[in-house]
Amino acid sequence: MKKIKKIFKKILNSFIGIGLFIAKIWKHKKGKIGLVLVGLLAFVAIFAPLIAPYDPYDVTQRAAKGLAPSWEHLLGTTINTGQDIFSMLIYGTRVSLLVGLITGIAIAFLGAILGIIAGYVGGVADNLIMRIVDIMLVIPTLPLTIVITNLFGKSYFIIVFIFVIFGWTGLARVIRSLVLVLKNSNYVKASELAGGSRWHIMTKHILPGVSHLLIMNTALTCAGIMVAEAGLSFLGLGDPTAISWGKMLAEAQSGGALLFGHWWWIIAPGIGIFIAVFAFMRIGLVMEEILNPRMKASSGIYKLFKTLNNTYIQEVFDGMNEEVLTTKEGEIS
Amino acid sequence: MQKSFVIKRILYAIFIFFVVLTLNFFIPRLGVDDPAERYYPPQGNMSDIEYEIIKQVTREQYGFDVSTFKQYTNYVEGLLRFDLGTSFRTGNPKVSTLIAERLPWTLVLSVSNLVISLCIGLIFGTVAAWKRGRWQDSLLLNLSTISVALPAFFIALILSFYFGFELELFPAYTNPNMVSQFDWSWEAIKVVFYNAALPIISMSIGGIIGYSQRTRNSVIAVTNEEFVLTARAKGLSQNKVLFKHTLRNAMLPIVTAVGMSLSGLIGGAVIIEQIFNWNGMGTLFLEANNTNDYPLMMGIMLFMSTIAILANLIVELTYSLLDPRITVGEKR
Repeated sequence: MKKIKKIFKKILNSFIGIGLFIAKIWKHKKGKIGLVLVGLLAFVAIFAPLIAPYDPYDVTQRAAKGLAPSWEHLLGTTINTGQDIFSMLIYGTRVSLLVGLITGIAIAFLGAILGIIAGYVGGVADNLIMRIVDIMLVIPTLPLTIVITNLFGKSYFIIVFIFVIFGWTGLARVIRSLVLVLKNSNYVKASELAGGSRWHIMTKHILPGVSHLLIMNTALTCAGIMVAEAGLSFLGLGDPTAISWGKMLAEAQSGGALLFGHWWWIIAPGIGIFIAVFAFMRIGLVMEEILNPRMKASSGIYKLFKTLNNTYIQEVFDGMNEEVLTTKEGEIS
Repeated sequence: MQKSFVIKRILYAIFIFFVVLTLNFFIPRLGVDDPAERYYPPQGNMSDIEYEIIKQVTREQYGFDVSTFKQYTNYVEGLLRFDLGTSFRTGNPKVSTLIAERLPWTLVLSVSNLVISLCIGLIFGTVAAWKRGRWQDSLLLNLSTISVALPAFFIALILSFYFGFELELFPAYTNPNMVSQFDWSWEAIKVVFYNAALPIISMSIGGIIGYSQRTRNSVIAVTNEEFVLTARAKGLSQNKVLFKHTLRNAMLPIVTAVGMSLSGLIGGAVIIEQIFNWNGMGTLFLEANNTNDYPLMMGIMLFMSTIAILANLIVELTYSLLDPRITVGEKR
């Protein structure tokens, strides 16, 4: 009974903590718009069938092909099939948010676990993990994704899987270098001397020390993953039955939106991507400012570039900077 | 830079190369009983006996008639002779020939992208850092936020729509004759860049802002150093302080960033190439994917990985050359 009470208290506490944190973001002058947009996106994604005026999967609207925006069809209809673009846009939110959130959280878990093990345990484990990172960094992500979807079929499950497999490396490197610094701090040493087990130190002392990095990184990864997902869907690597913003863009291109001047068909999914990515990025940057006031907001954006501008390149660069940093610190101490 | 460090890095790069090529060997063999299965031509209206013979021939042609270990050693041996295998295309061209044909066209895009992004990015970044906190700086900050949220392929679609279809200023699709009629004349080069304008612009918008941001941060970090203060206190002119003392020292991270971007020169434009129908490595890969041309796909993958390994190696070595304070080798 006591144990249950304890667990209950813990859960309650963490909820209060999350609530307080959101309140902090809300108070920040730049955070409000991010929170509002994320809330809006979540609302749209959950209640998509209620909001969408038409069934976006309905391809039998022979009479309503290629309409321009009007009050009946807010963003017009597609040229080949007469699907309502506004409804498609609303349904596309689901794929983007789901893929972004699941991948972001999975990457945070994997990156934290492997980064902390590599940094704190060290030795063989560190060597092994960092060698895997080195190998991951040289394999071209997009071509490998294409090969794997070719082998195992196209689905968002596989896309998320690949994002996670390739996404944790950058985070693990950053976390590892921070752990290396924390490892030499007095409170960790004190805990070691007092006979704290490795597990105890890793969960009670190291993890809280890197949590600010994790939380911030998750928001920024979500943003980056949503861009990447749109790119893969654009190439037709997503689930062929689901509606996503990237796929809408591909359909617009192949369906003649460019040729017939239907600019709304291209702009609509682009704005969807923009709002989603912008919202998560804003929240990530505000989190960074709240949790780590010494850092300037701009460095977060710079970090995000790694996910946008083909990717592993900058990751190596970031990782290397971190390594150099730790080397310097290691030399000093 | 110590010799042992160089040798260590080179050996390590070779080790990574072998791991990557092993992965490359096993990935197409994943999840099937008969690894040659993906290499058979479609049965069509052949009889079963005929098809068996065709299968046998295919197996022998692609070397599946020996044990997996022998296949692996054959594969490695072939690679040492720069033989990446044979494509399924008609006439069975060598994968390496196909890559060599397409590589220059991708380099046209990616090298111009790199040069433009770097040049403009350096100027913008320096201005933003010099005018820190003023409108130039905040403009850059806002642009960065916006440009991350606008994927390059979306910019490409918009550009191709507006400049290609509406204004008809630039070709929205690459002229297919461009490659076959290329003869190194001035006219032909002009045609290439006329066709490449939209892809390069859509690729470099993100790059320009990325390099600006990086330059800005780096310059600001250097501006806070004491030697810049000393230079100012000596009474040197603004320009001298900027060019001789600040910029020169702010270059190190930029040089590294450029080195790192080398590995993306080949595989970085798959979607852009697809949008503009550009005849580069990206479209070659997508074509291979559409025809299930595994030898070609795996050959391109290995080529890209190798370039990435080489780029990493070069950057690591130059890094320790440029900044002797850092011995990258001694990580722990």
